[in-house]
Amino acid sequence: MKLVHAKIAMLITLLLSAIFFTNDFGLIDIEKTAIVTAIAIDQTDDEYSVSMEIAVPESNKLAENKKALLSGKGKTVSGAIRDMGDTSGWYPKLYFCNLIILGQSVAQNNVIKVLDYFAKTLRIQDSATVVLAENTAKELLESTSPLDNISSFALQKILLKNPGFDNDVANIDVKTFCADYYSKNASSLMPKVSIIRQENTDNSNQTTKDESTKTGGNTVFNATKTALFKNGKLVGELNENQTFIYNLIMHPSKETALKVNGVDEAGEKTDYLLTVVDNKRKISLGADRYNLDLNISLNLFCRIADQNSKQSKTTYTENEYMDIKIIKKAEEQLYNDINSLIEVSKTSGCDFLRVNDLLYRYCHKYYPVYKDSYLSVFTPKISVSVSGQK
Amino acid sequence: MKFQLKTRQVCLFFIAFLPVSKLFTMPSIIAGCASEDMWISTLINLLLDLITLSFVLWTCKKTKTDFFGLLELNFGKLGSKIILLLYFFTFFFKALLPINQQKTYVELTLYETLPSFLNFLPFFLVSFFFCCKRIRVLGRVADIFWVITLIGLILIFLLSFTNSDFSAVLPIGAQGFINQSKGAFYSFNWFGDCAYLMFFIGQFQVKKNDCVKVFLSYLIPGLFVVFFMIIFYGVFTSIAFRQIFALTEISKYTIVINNIGRFDYVGIICILASNFFALALPLYFASLTLNKIFNIKPWICSLIVNGLTCFCVLAFAEHFASIEKFLSVYGNALFFITANVLPIITCVLKKENKENEVSAC
Amino acid sequence: MKITSSLDKNQRALKSQLESDDITFLPVSIKKRKGTIIFLKDIADKKSVGELVLKPIKDLNGNITVKKLENAFLSPEKKTVDTVEQLIEEIMLGNTAFLLDGIDVAFSFDLKVFEKRAITEPPTSAVIKGPREGFVESIAVNVSLMRRRIKSPSLKIENLTIGKFSKTPVALCYISEVVDPSLVKALRQKLKNIDIDAVLDSSYVAKLIGEHQTSLFKQVGNTEKPDILSAKILEGRVAIFVDGSPIALTVPYLLVEDFQSPSDYYNSPYSANMARSLRLLSVMVSILLPAFFVASELFHLQLIPLSFLLTIVNSIKGIPLSPSFEMFFTLLIFEILNEASVRMPRYVGMVVSIVGGLVLGETAVNAGIISAPTLMIVAFSGICLFTVPELEQVFSIIRLLFLFIGGSLGGYGLILAICFLIIYLVSFESFNTPLMAPFSPIVKEDLKDGIYKGFLCEQVYRPKSIKNVNAKRQNIKEMKK
Repeated sequence: MKLVHAKIAMLITLLLSAIFFTNDFGLIDIEKTAIVTAIAIDQTDDEYSVSMEIAVPESNKLAENKKALLSGKGKTVSGAIRDMGDTSGWYPKLYFCNLIILGQSVAQNNVIKVLDYFAKTLRIQDSATVVLAENTAKELLESTSPLDNISSFALQKILLKNPGFDNDVANIDVKTFCADYYSKNASSLMPKVSIIRQENTDNSNQTTKDESTKTGGNTVFNATKTALFKNGKLVGELNENQTFIYNLIMHPSKETALKVNGVDEAGEKTDYLLTVVDNKRKISLGADRYNLDLNISLNLFCRIADQNSKQSKTTYTENEYMDIKIIKKAEEQLYNDINSLIEVSKTSGCDFLRVNDLLYRYCHKYYPVYKDSYLSVFTPKISVSVSGQK
Repeated sequence: MKFQLKTRQVCLFFIAFLPVSKLFTMPSIIAGCASEDMWISTLINLLLDLITLSFVLWTCKKTKTDFFGLLELNFGKLGSKIILLLYFFTFFFKALLPINQQKTYVELTLYETLPSFLNFLPFFLVSFFFCCKRIRVLGRVADIFWVITLIGLILIFLLSFTNSDFSAVLPIGAQGFINQSKGAFYSFNWFGDCAYLMFFIGQFQVKKNDCVKVFLSYLIPGLFVVFFMIIFYGVFTSIAFRQIFALTEISKYTIVINNIGRFDYVGIICILASNFFALALPLYFASLTLNKIFNIKPWICSLIVNGLTCFCVLAFAEHFASIEKFLSVYGNALFFITANVLPIITCVLKKENKENEVSAC
Repeated sequence: MKITSSLDKNQRALKSQLESDDITFLPVSIKKRKGTIIFLKDIADKKSVGELVLKPIKDLNGNITVKKLENAFLSPEKKTVDTVEQLIEEIMLGNTAFLLDGIDVAFSFDLKVFEKRAITEPPTSAVIKGPREGFVESIAVNVSLMRRRIKSPSLKIENLTIGKFSKTPVALCYISEVVDPSLVKALRQKLKNIDIDAVLDSSYVAKLIGEHQTSLFKQVGNTEKPDILSAKILEGRVAIFVDGSPIALTVPYLLVEDFQSPSDYYNSPYSANMARSLRLLSVMVSILLPAFFVASELFHLQLIPLSFLLTIVNSIKGIPLSPSFEMFFTLLIFEILNEASVRMPRYVGMVVSIVGGLVLGETAVNAGIISAPTLMIVAFSGICLFTVPELEQVFSIIRLLFLFIGGSLGGYGLILAICFLIIYLVSFESFNTPLMAPFSPIVKEDLKDGIYKGFLCEQVYRPKSIKNVNAKRQNIKEMKK
């Protein structure tokens, strides 16, 4: 019996080694695998145009990796990706794609038609960041940046900052976007990215054509604006200040820079840059049969990081606490920004503050009463307090 | 009287294998029925199990014979064989759904190119080997795998915990009892693990406080599963019902993963390893019952059970949706009888025969 | 055949069977009676034969009887033999035989002198701090080394002879106050049941007494150091010495033994814990790393971080072999180099290491035959395995099997293979002792000397994984007084 076991084991080993040596299981050669790092999707009348940025490893160990850009077209996103594979002979490996760029043309229709594909398929991570291009998505991918040879990597550098440290960008991934879309408020948002072309004025930095390719191009990206979506359609936009305040009231922040402009100091207007050390924030909803109150409370503890006043240095030692004028100005500015944020939400119909979720979760009793009218009915009650040290 | 297991091993058995199989497709199935109240559906099933468990533990304490002896003593040879046949079908059907879903999980999340026949076939080979072993091997495997399960669970738990919006499960009970029960009904197949304890009756010595230890070792992993449901819904909220491979998805949204890659796979691999045993357990007990009914060699029983399951999983792969439907309607009735009704009945049965023998496993 | 009182008849019977040039029949005369001394000329100590056998009986007075002769011989190890077969056996063992005309018995004296190797530090278990003595090929020396360490009447030595032709002396060694008597009985019976032409080394015995003959894993422990063996038999194990082998066997065997090094017991528990954890980690890395790497390259690219994946893709550009074959090929080269360096003389071995390791590796990578990550993984895996030299052979086979599984079935196949290995190991028992104890089944007290090495004061009891009749090994309370 024991010898029978040994024979069976031998047989299995032989079988395994046959598979092992032949690799006869429809394996795709790793060299033929296209490692897709970003996807850009634009839409023409009735078809999608998908561009993929593919990381091409350099054979020279010292050189940085290069990129290749491939495009495909199809009635659906998956069809366009297949088309790209068919025409290039590469097998697109989407798993490493960390960035999905949507063109303006896509945002005019329901973006969920596109994003649902990425949320459902297991071939791509739904933790990929999703952004809206100011013009076409392809344009963003084609641009070359001095930050990285691969433009999606350069773009991710401004998008994938630790959300606690920087509140300039309303970063979002596919999963969160879809979850927001399918939630009761059907509202979601994503960063809007624009290209800024830097002018090279430094004469000493003039390079040959080859060298400029090596160091990258002259474009950088700006993603401080935020596109707002209701039921998957673009309905509005948050400006830089609104994006900042949105992040400040929705996410924990550490070491974020808050600009306070025009503080009146002895008749002179001074601009301050405060570092937000801690932000205590609370959004709650109070409901009864007649009122729906959205309570937003924001308590910031800040430190002065910089200022454009000449007399600043002397004041450092005199008083440990921040000047009341700065505090008042900061509070006023934040109050106005929150108000404008609410205004955008009401006018666009995009419930990015998740009022409907709050209504459903915490005031469930009144959910049937306000579920259709909550956005127009709710009254904001804003409380902002700033404290800090010099 | 020689005991095959120690009380510690029975406790670790539940800790190692009770939670793991419930973390793959079950959460999305319950979420589809009960949404934010999915944890209540899970709790309903857990409570049902705990009630049954209490009765079985009471029987364990009172009887000096094993399960097979107990059945024979009360129902005679023929009667006991009929009941064992019921258990055989229970375990066989109980194995089918999770194994098929595990196959889909492995194919879709781990592989891109390998044909399904090849990557999942070894499951049945290893399961065949496992099913040939004596009952004490279960205890020994549990002695090793409780650590592996804990490593996996803790890692996944820690990575997903921070991304979960716990307020998403509010308001509690909004989905109503019907939806909660629906969730419990469609996930019933994954529960009823106390049926395994029936086969441990007389195989371990029940001393003072041992019943409490076993009860707690069932309760704590069960509560962990309930808590996992809360985290799961907190991470995915409105799209939770679509996350059919919860385990792979739940922990990847952490910033750490973004920075250093998918090291959550370490936890996933640990849970996959433990889950192999969780999936093979019904097959093990099906082989055991077959062995007791027909008195044939364990390896032949193992071959029959694993061969049959392999055939069903591979041959009916395309029709599995109908099998699922069938099992969730008729299978659940059978599971309820064997995993809940029969164990409760055992406590009113005659507990001792004259010889006080334990039949060998 | 009985020995008769006729010397001629006895001599004829002996000579008919002992026709060999190294057997000397030395005729002597005692009180005008003819006698013969028979011995193996290269083994017997001729001086002792004269001093201890011949000289005392030359001066015997009166009638020569068996009793008188027995009392006269000065050799401490003497035996009376009454059959020709027994006498031949004694001679073949190297003993000196004496026959006298008119006496119907023969005498056998243990006066053999073998050439012995000096007691040196065993190459397989060198220590920085701790005893450096190692066993040698002589069973007598080995037993004496044990006696030197355990000066108790409870240390029992049982002699047996195994091998139809080799007649190899084998000794069972145990502490009677500690060992489980049923284990000694079972082992004694197993040794007696061995029927083989020759036992040339203790490994023969290890294989023959094992319960799972076809198993990849060993079932009998071994050591070359008397201090380690003393510790093992004090835990309730039985040792087996085989003449001609410097390696003593121990039964029962636990897998964890091989993760324990002698130095763990002589250094601080902190460093021992670290060393043991490293050994365990190294073994796991060694077995799994090549397999998981190939599986990741072939099936699960998502497991590899993007930056590392780009490096891999970069390094495998233009390599003609598939990832699985490349890893196998590199591992094969490593195993060949390993085998060659062991077999070759030491001074050539060095050259093999340099040529094989450095030149071959570097050239193969530069020539684009194998990639740098593969080479690095194989080298690292190889080094890792040598942290547990006792298990190196077993695990290198498992590594190869795992590589086959990883390369053909991918990661899930590997997970299943690990499960299979664990089921196999936990169900494996030898001499009623589970191989995986104290981890499976968990023996709480024994975990203090498992991968975790507890303080000496914690180890009050002998390991429970090994059955013994005396549980306590130190009395902490008494010591505190």
